[in-house]
Amino acid sequence: MTWLFKIILAICIVPSAVLLLILGFPKNPETRKMIFGVRDNPKFHEGNAAKRVKEIADSCRKSALIITCIICIATVILVFLPSTNVTMLAFILLVFALFLVFIPFGKGNTELKNLKKELGITKSGTVYADLKNTSIIHALKMPWLILPNCIALLETVFAILVDFGVIRIVDTLAIEKYGLTMTSASFLFVAIILVPIALMMDNTRNTVISKDSNVNANYNRAKKKCWADLFVAMSWANALVIGILVTLYMFFFNDIAVLAGALAYMAVIMVIVVISVKLQISIEKRYERDTDLELLDDDDCWILGMFYYNPNDTRLNVEKRFGYGGTVNIAHPAGKVIMILTVILLVASIGFIIWAAATGNLDKLNVNSPF
Amino acid sequence: MIIRIDEYSDVPIYMQIRNQIVMGISSGELKGGEQLPTVRALALEIGINTMTVSKTYQLLKQEGYIMTDRKNGARVRDNIAQSGVISEENKTELKRIVSEARISGVSKTELKKLIDEFY
Repeated sequence: MTWLFKIILAICIVPSAVLLLILGFPKNPETRKMIFGVRDNPKFHEGNAAKRVKEIADSCRKSALIITCIICIATVILVFLPSTNVTMLAFILLVFALFLVFIPFGKGNTELKNLKKELGITKSGTVYADLKNTSIIHALKMPWLILPNCIALLETVFAILVDFGVIRIVDTLAIEKYGLTMTSASFLFVAIILVPIALMMDNTRNTVISKDSNVNANYNRAKKKCWADLFVAMSWANALVIGILVTLYMFFFNDIAVLAGALAYMAVIMVIVVISVKLQISIEKRYERDTDLELLDDDDCWILGMFYYNPNDTRLNVEKRFGYGGTVNIAHPAGKVIMILTVILLVASIGFIIWAAATGNLDKLNVNSPF
Repeated sequence: MIIRIDEYSDVPIYMQIRNQIVMGISSGELKGGEQLPTVRALALEIGINTMTVSKTYQLLKQEGYIMTDRKNGARVRDNIAQSGVISEENKTELKRIVSEARISGVSKTELKKLIDEFY
């Protein structure tokens, strides 16, 4: 385990923590459609209620800010500490510590739900469907998503051939370590995972905001276009990074080049996500004045504002209320399986890291691979 | 056309969809020959079981408002049979509405005005 690995982990942890803080705890939550996963209500903006909402938002934001600062400072400190088994364990566990930001979010969600009860905001069970737009609003152009994945696949195949010594352009470094294959395959895996997620987001249920079908169609098309562009851009970024890594590895491989590559990749991903979030916010603002229907109040189906559990809803995928993207309906049979697998994966990962640290294997990880 | 489903209503969901499609045809929002969404698409859109939507479409077909075939899916009928009579079921429903209006103190003129507005 080298300083390079630690710096790359730090590059992943710090921006992710900051992004989680920005997405989950905006400075003016009252201007958003959702406040801590609770749908905004006109009563939230009146007199004492507005004051309470502000207090809750400020208190939760402060807690989240403290958690984010601790994570970021701990990350920076650990980068400079010598790589002992314990420091490395602490470092990797910091990745999972990012989930701590969910605690103030859940707290804010619970407090706002209580406030709703106090204000006597009753649950509205009205669902709207636009007959003219049902299942015809899509924005994802599959070739644009498949093409970068095909390129990434070809690059990975090339990387395998280089690692196995089938292709020898120059006297490459550390070919026997299979580092290039592992790195390329990891990025390819991420790119492939994006395909079903992109399809899922493109097939999410249309939101009916107006009595005018054209407004609904334009609103949903704009939102889905934003999603589609995000996934296409991320897929191209993945294909590009594999290409750059293969080139770097074969011709100019050194620690600084790899570090610069990792930094550039994280920067590109962050820029893509930030642009996409900004676009989504501007779409919401643009269509706010066209909204003339009261949307379904399903806040109670959102456990802590993060987990969707609605046995009366047959949909599997829904738009998230924390962060950015989609999530699954845990009440759906497939949703249950996905959630159980996710929990198993998380617990297994933490268990494996602790086991590796306890048996002293953590610092024996391959240090010569680019990542 | 926008369909509004009230999850807490006493009226079953399949009947709520049926009623609104009938109102849509009557108001001209749904024109003759207009394509209706597939059973699966509409069920996904509302978040209900496909059997519920299927039941609605079967009922509408049975009543002669829509036609369905494997190739084209469900469409609003171009020429809906006009019997010129109100069904016994509707008469009972109308009687209930008139009775409730009378109890609430709604005048006959106001009621007629409403009928004129909706007709």
